[in-house]
Amino acid sequence: MKPFYACNSPEHHLSRRQFLAGMATGALGIMGGGFSSFIHSAVAGELKSSEKRVLLIWLHGGVSQLETWDPKPGTSTGGPFQAIPTTVPGVHISELLPHCAKQMHRLALIRSINTAENDHAKGAYLMHTGRKQMPNMEWPHLGAVMAKLLGSPDNPLPGYIHITPRGQGGFNKQDAAFLGPRYCSVSLADGKPPENLLRPEPLTESADRQRNDLRQRLNNRFLQGRRTAETEAYTQSYDQAAQIMERRAVFDISKEPPKLAERYGSHDFGRHCLLARRLLENGVTFVKVTHSNYDTHYENFEFHIEQLGEFDQTFATLLDDLDQRGLLQSTLVIVMSEFGRTPKINRNYGRDHWGTAWSIALAGCGIQGGAVVGKTNADGTAVTDRMVGAGHLFHTYFRALGLNPKKNHYVNQQPIPMADPAASAIEEILA
Amino acid sequence: MRADDKPETALIDPAQTHLVQELKHSSPLVGCRFDPSGRFVFAGAQDNTVQRWELDGGKRTELVGHKSWVRGLAFAPKNNLLFTGDYQGKVIAWPIDAETPAPERTLDAHRGWVRALAVSPDGQTLATCGNDHLVKLWSVPDGKPLRELAGHASHVYNLAFHPGGQFLVSIELKGVIRQWDLAEGKSVRELDAKVLYKYDETFRADIGGARSMAFSTDGSLLACGGITEVTNAFAGVGKPLVVLYDWQTGKPKQLLRPKENFQGTVWGVVFHPSGFLAGAGAGAGGALWFWRPEEPLAFFTLKLPNNARDLDLHADGRRLAVPFFDGAVRLYDMAKKPA
Amino acid sequence: MSYPLPRYRWWLAVGLLITLAAAAPAQTPLHQRIDELIAAGTPDFERLAAPLADDAEFLRRVYLDLTGTIPPAAEARAFLNDPSPDKRRQLIDRLLASPEHARHMAHVFDVMLMERRTGRHVPPAAWHEYLRAAFAENKPWDELVREILSADGEDAQRRPAAKFYLDRDGEPHLLTRDISRLFLGMNLTCSQCHDSPIVEDYKQDLYYGIFAFLNRSFLFTPKGKPAVLAEKADGEATFQSVFDPAKVTKTAAPRLPGGPLVKEPMFEKGQEYEVAPGKDVKPVPKFSRRAQLAAQLTAPENVQFRRNIANRLWALMMGRGLIHPLDQDHSANPPSHPELLNVLADEIGAMKFNLRAFLRELALSKTYQRASVPPPGVKEVAPETFAVARLKPLSPEQLALAMMQATGLTDVERKALGDKLSEAALYAKLSGNLGLFVNLFGNRPGQPADFEATMDQALFVANGKLLRSWLAPNAAGNLTGRLGQIQEADAVAEELYLSVLTRLPTEEERREVADYLKERTQDRAAALQELAWALLASAEFRFNH
Repeated sequence: MKPFYACNSPEHHLSRRQFLAGMATGALGIMGGGFSSFIHSAVAGELKSSEKRVLLIWLHGGVSQLETWDPKPGTSTGGPFQAIPTTVPGVHISELLPHCAKQMHRLALIRSINTAENDHAKGAYLMHTGRKQMPNMEWPHLGAVMAKLLGSPDNPLPGYIHITPRGQGGFNKQDAAFLGPRYCSVSLADGKPPENLLRPEPLTESADRQRNDLRQRLNNRFLQGRRTAETEAYTQSYDQAAQIMERRAVFDISKEPPKLAERYGSHDFGRHCLLARRLLENGVTFVKVTHSNYDTHYENFEFHIEQLGEFDQTFATLLDDLDQRGLLQSTLVIVMSEFGRTPKINRNYGRDHWGTAWSIALAGCGIQGGAVVGKTNADGTAVTDRMVGAGHLFHTYFRALGLNPKKNHYVNQQPIPMADPAASAIEEILA
Repeated sequence: MRADDKPETALIDPAQTHLVQELKHSSPLVGCRFDPSGRFVFAGAQDNTVQRWELDGGKRTELVGHKSWVRGLAFAPKNNLLFTGDYQGKVIAWPIDAETPAPERTLDAHRGWVRALAVSPDGQTLATCGNDHLVKLWSVPDGKPLRELAGHASHVYNLAFHPGGQFLVSIELKGVIRQWDLAEGKSVRELDAKVLYKYDETFRADIGGARSMAFSTDGSLLACGGITEVTNAFAGVGKPLVVLYDWQTGKPKQLLRPKENFQGTVWGVVFHPSGFLAGAGAGAGGALWFWRPEEPLAFFTLKLPNNARDLDLHADGRRLAVPFFDGAVRLYDMAKKPA
Repeated sequence: MSYPLPRYRWWLAVGLLITLAAAAPAQTPLHQRIDELIAAGTPDFERLAAPLADDAEFLRRVYLDLTGTIPPAAEARAFLNDPSPDKRRQLIDRLLASPEHARHMAHVFDVMLMERRTGRHVPPAAWHEYLRAAFAENKPWDELVREILSADGEDAQRRPAAKFYLDRDGEPHLLTRDISRLFLGMNLTCSQCHDSPIVEDYKQDLYYGIFAFLNRSFLFTPKGKPAVLAEKADGEATFQSVFDPAKVTKTAAPRLPGGPLVKEPMFEKGQEYEVAPGKDVKPVPKFSRRAQLAAQLTAPENVQFRRNIANRLWALMMGRGLIHPLDQDHSANPPSHPELLNVLADEIGAMKFNLRAFLRELALSKTYQRASVPPPGVKEVAPETFAVARLKPLSPEQLALAMMQATGLTDVERKALGDKLSEAALYAKLSGNLGLFVNLFGNRPGQPADFEATMDQALFVANGKLLRSWLAPNAAGNLTGRLGQIQEADAVAEELYLSVLTRLPTEEERREVADYLKERTQDRAAALQELAWALLASAEFRFNH
């Protein structure tokens, strides 16, 4: 999809703001580069309170709903753990989440998800895009959609950042599908800054400036009479690169007070969540932190003790920290997985893949703290009240963020509903 | 066979091990022990009960009191007490032979799961271990705490008293065995059990500890059963292993493995007074293995009908008890079958 | 200008075309007719049209378009100094005959046909070599398409041609979509579920007509062997419209848009197979629907087939299709120059789909050779007038190969090969660097190539190790190595500009280089790298202009 940018005249450059306004509603196309040339003077680090953000904690592999948000102690499927009371009277969660229990007034639970999907990749796709995978269609991730709808063009930082436990960092173009790579996720492997962010050793700052001055002079001469949307995008990608280089400290958690870092936890997930808060604070629209791994086919209980032991305190600290900085009310927080785990405990003390009746937790922007929606039966094998799927969740995220999920994306002028038209928002959980 | 039968080692031939009794419960079982008199077998179940079967006649009695699963069971016969520990960190003392045993005492033993407990050879001290990284000693007669043994850096998985009575050993998740001097209350030696531990980089979680731990009758050998060469922690893909330590040197003397290619975990290990070892394991199915301390591969394997979860040896030296995922305790006789 | 003939007008047009072709003997060459029809398409064309590009701009453009890279500095110098009035034609002919042209076309058609899919059934290298060999022998397009669409992967020799099918896993919807887009210029995707609400012409039955050729095909994996495409003797292409409240189910027979209905022989039950299906047995039906597809698609009567390839090659050279976007050929989106598209489509058919001859005509046209800046006094020129040359972003492969040539890596490798030098040997040395560029600058797998300039690309150029290593001076004579040997600033500027931008520097640029170097006598080597970098990172380098 190419932007409509037929005109080569300089007058049209002055109407870029209108162009951007058009883009924000999704009516035009995707522009490749950043729009940073307009904001050289803007101090991008300051976050306006009206800006909204999303934090997604991805419990990779499929966290057990029975060991988290929907415990069934004393049943054949309940496992060895107890349920504990929370700050919301009558609401109990697993004893593995004592710190989260103290945050319950900020959390909302949906205990009635049925996605009917037990495959890791398909489940992840469904939960990230709100749509089933189809051979002929690629859907953008929620992160890409939000980067586009909520992102500030003034911010040189990527709109969708994914902090992964390890692996290869980089740009994941497929995440943005038809929205274009401008909105794709950027992985920070083990929280390390994006590749090539730092100026290579022997090149001094002044030499870098000099060579860029020369590059710009060349461009100005060449583009006289040749300017197009594509050349604009190209030259601006360098501005954006320069700006993110300038803001490299955003990726550096050693700038955080050690006391706070300690509260987050010295393990990977703790460091990654602290980085996530730093990124959100600096105007990254959508931050996903993956906590790995919950795919516990063997010794489910042992592994949930270990993994949730990291998750619980860190996540509670993160909520407190966001709240104390005044960010929580404008940040939608989502804790989810590709699916839940089987109520039936298998012969190796494991639980298997289970998309039939499971839970997620939400908090922050637009979410009614303490709300619990939906029910499963006594042993957790079926949803008995308010069954919802990934489409409902997608609608709910939009609404929580003050967006209309019934709007369309436009691909080659073709309207594509942002959220599955067959689903609707879970009103009872919205603030 | 009567409970007061003496071990007649001449009659034992592990290669002839065969099922002699099946005791069924409706919920999967996680651990079991014969009482020292040999009259009962007790088993912890996933329905939070402890089941007691009288071997003679198979009468089943339910011990109700835990609110979580019980895997650790230990007896203080002089005080007629069974101690059971659960995932909640609670330890309950029960009269072994009461008609319907009720909790006599409940200890808030640990923060987090008590995976194992043991009673000292003199019957006076109960040792417990928990996810709070602690080992604790308690007075058997009155349940008073005696000592807290701190030093482990991860969940403590198992423990055993040395038959000499002076030492206790405990093993933690990350493959460290500590030897505690009971009189001093100090850790006096560390044994390396890293072969039973792995940090799985893919799943970013620890797998390790010993699911079972036992001393030989003479105290010269220590056996720790678990899983090694893990390729996928979250599917339990690895090799069952019993590490046999020379108590004197503290070094592994032998790594005992199944003879067959078997993926899974050793959930229970016992020494027979005559010197061989038996292990119960599970993965995709269950097995009983028999080893001689001097040979690395099992000399006999009995395929089990289901996933085995623990193992104990009867005072008669003939019968083995195995609790299963399918809710049964099965008793296997190692004595030669009558011709 | 007349409105185009009705769409999908296969059969009726045939007789007429033959008549037309016969009635125009000794007519003006195609490249001149192109220019005439382009000029006729815009009222004040003469005022808007840019003059011809200068030799340097033409040289760089035609090199990139026909061989996928830029010329070495020495060749650029030679061309600029060549006084021959016919030198552009000579260059076009030389480049079209070069092995680099076949290589470039292999890249272009790989991206067009596979759209950066990562398949596991046919290795990319085998597919690339298949395409390269086809273009090296100038295989006619219809023949190439017939090979690709009749391959099932069974014959090891011809297996690479089956990549189109196999690495789409034989998925009939995906194949229907891509065959309609890539070979017919009609994006029927939306017609899978209903008559397209956007494009009136794109009815659901068109989609299922193509689908019916393919829906019996499936991927079959013989024991211990690679997967092949197999076919059943049954299975109908039935469809309902999601808009239809009555949910009427229709059945489509195999038929290309506007084409004839494929006649299907009837067999008695139990007699449908040459080889009946069974466990681990690949079935062979007596009548293969899929086997009809290649012939139907490439039949001379199929106007849509030649319109599509003519339009795609036009876009390749001119930076934009006469029909734009390339897969939106329908009556509501008429070509910018309908008559020209008709002429091009008919000519490429008349040329028997000789792609090289067709490209030659495009390259010879003034339309192709115009400057990329509008004439003085003209501010706005709509791209669909083709009055000014369009800027075309370099493909990832072009960018990588051009950067390697510009920095002199290519020259160093060329020299190192000595008498073992051949296009294939040189490509083998350089192609290892392409993957990184494709990952960074390429489109997403399964998506059409589309220009996107992103921050990670800029960071790669600015701070990445690879480019830094290419820019580090090298005794074997890479660019900065050569520049280091030149004392005089003016000569440095000339070598630098010729090597990277394929042109001589202006006076202003000569001064700029001299000034840059004057201040950096202490670290001249670093300064040379910075100068070279600035040129490489410039928009002038990033685009083919």
